[in-house]
Amino acid sequence: MDIHNLTAKDRKKIYTRLRAMIQLMYFVFIPSVYTAAFAGVKYIFTRIGAGEKVGMTSFVTVLLVICLYTMVFGRFFCGFACTFGTFGDALRALYIKVCKKRKKKPVKIPEKAVGILCYMKYLVLLLIVLLCYSGVYGKAQGTSPWDVFSMIHAGNFRLGGYGIGLVVLILLMAGMCVQERFFCRFFCPMGAVFSLLPVLPFFALHRTRKNCRKGCKACAKICPSQIGLPTDGSWEISGDCFQCQKCIDICPQKHIHCGIRKLKGNEFWFTILRALILLGICLRLGL
Amino acid sequence: MGEFLTRAISVVAAVVCLNGYNTVLGKREQAKEQIRKQQAELEQSANAAKEGTITDGAYKDGTYTGEAQGFGGPVDVEVIVENGMISEINITSAEKEDGAYLSRAEDIIPTILEAQSAEVDTISGATFSSTGIKEAVAQALEEAANQED
Repeated sequence: MDIHNLTAKDRKKIYTRLRAMIQLMYFVFIPSVYTAAFAGVKYIFTRIGAGEKVGMTSFVTVLLVICLYTMVFGRFFCGFACTFGTFGDALRALYIKVCKKRKKKPVKIPEKAVGILCYMKYLVLLLIVLLCYSGVYGKAQGTSPWDVFSMIHAGNFRLGGYGIGLVVLILLMAGMCVQERFFCRFFCPMGAVFSLLPVLPFFALHRTRKNCRKGCKACAKICPSQIGLPTDGSWEISGDCFQCQKCIDICPQKHIHCGIRKLKGNEFWFTILRALILLGICLRLGL
Repeated sequence: MGEFLTRAISVVAAVVCLNGYNTVLGKREQAKEQIRKQQAELEQSANAAKEGTITDGAYKDGTYTGEAQGFGGPVDVEVIVENGMISEINITSAEKEDGAYLSRAEDIIPTILEAQSAEVDTISGATFSSTGIKEAVAQALEEAANQED
């Protein structure tokens, strides 16, 4: 199969399918990385709050490794392997399909609200960290929508005492329909950690800005985070890029590429490679 | 590049802080451990006079099994009782538990061994899996106690 000779439409189709397939695989087989990594954050602060030593437990290992992976490859984990992100993508796709069938315009969140909501994830992170530090997080069990989601995912329906979590999950699901990557962008505490990390520019997406058509904002419009991509050679990498790579295919001038330019045109294989590296890491960690 | 550097320095600083915190606590614990050891030695020499203070444990010797519900499915354990004391706890099957959670939950085993009872606190963060282990051990111990009559 030669990807280079395909029409733009076909290429887009292949990338969409590839991404959906990788997401489905991780969803079915390795569903617990995001909660395990965040359990690492909670563990660290709970221990510090209790004045105890922070051990290298399995949660902390997962957290460290996933953070390192993100610093090198960007938030590929979020875009391709996070179970909750995949769940949101599926809901969003379903919602768009239903809207199309009913010939209704999808509901949109006003831009001003989006700007404010983006900072909510840091508040969520801060709140959870403080609760852990003060040692009261254990009492808040049943409020986490993640717990409810992963219980349902594992076929564990003993949801008594998880009422608040269930309600929050349903509210989030509504949000996920209305806005692509609603949870990841606005409320994900793990996403807050990721978006504060220094991401190396080598595999992050850049654009050759000087040759762009005047007024063209195709890449920012299709981006789930509405990112204006950095220009060539820039180190200003947005922590909100999920590496979904939709911008690569939408650009009419084919201006978008990784920091390492030689990879241009081979994104298909590079995506598979990154997914495999992540898979290797997960297997090594015994997830 | 400036922003990248700021972030990188922050991350390094956080890691260094954590490390420092751990080292300080480690040294403190070491000191405490030493005091505890000396105290134990003193007590032992005091107790040596009264012989036969070691009481038999509450359980009958043997190998027992138990099963309880974990996060995604059943958790099976094997409890070995020697000289009336719980000497070993092995997880024989927990296929539906997630790796990271299970290995975190296994930290409950030393606590159970120390308490010689399944009535211990669960591991926060891995509540379901550790509850599974705890309840499976409790079930096995019930068996160990029942054999007396």
